[in-house]
Amino acid sequence: MNGVSYLLLFFPIVLVILVVLEAARSDDPKAILKRALANLGVLTAVLVLGGAFVYVINRWF
Amino acid sequence: MRLLKLIVAVGGFLFVLVSLFQKKGERMKGVAFLAGWLVPGAGHVLLGKWKKGLFFFTILGATYLFGMWISGFRPVSFDDNPFYFVGQYGSGLTLLIAKLRGAQKAIIRPGLDPSWFDPGLLYVCVVGLLNLVVMLSLVDAKALGGEEPATPAGLEASALPAVPTVGAPASAPEKPA
Repeated sequence: MNGVSYLLLFFPIVLVILVVLEAARSDDPKAILKRALANLGVLTAVLVLGGAFVYVINRWF
Repeated sequence: MRLLKLIVAVGGFLFVLVSLFQKKGERMKGVAFLAGWLVPGAGHVLLGKWKKGLFFFTILGATYLFGMWISGFRPVSFDDNPFYFVGQYGSGLTLLIAKLRGAQKAIIRPGLDPSWFDPGLLYVCVVGLLNLVVMLSLVDAKALGGEEPATPAGLEASALPAVPTVGAPASAPEKPA
């Protein structure tokens, strides 16, 4: 588990990127946070599904 | 001394470039653009959006410090990753810190997993790149909550030529009695 602990660094950096990008185009703090979290969810889902897909391919094919 | 000359030259070039593209009365945006490069968020503060400026400074500063903490408070060297090396120069402050720290090669902080090294460098690089986005948002009127551009003079609706409606009956020629 220690070898893949760097994956935890994915969440802060992506959240920072998304928050700054949203803050650069909007003034409403609620909207900024809402959109950033929604996009973080989508990106995390893509990462997890992609990782699962690669795992399945390597494990059984 | 050479570095100072380089900074002044790059700053002057950027200033002239920005000034050329700015309309009259918008020079402050050019100055804010430069200030935004020097210190993240300073451009917004100059334009009166001090809350937003402070927010950008805090979030980018914290990210930079975290990245530097991972990499032993040493800047990204060209040998570590050429792309991250260039990316960290998106802000004058990070450039200054990198130059002040010298050419010491970054090392992973003792006690941390070696796999954290590359993400640590990425954190430092991302701050520079995000600062470029923050700077560009300064010249975006919508992001600053500015007014919509006014209608150019001479293009008022009353002055525009009347466009004939499609399908409208044209004036029929008078029939001879």
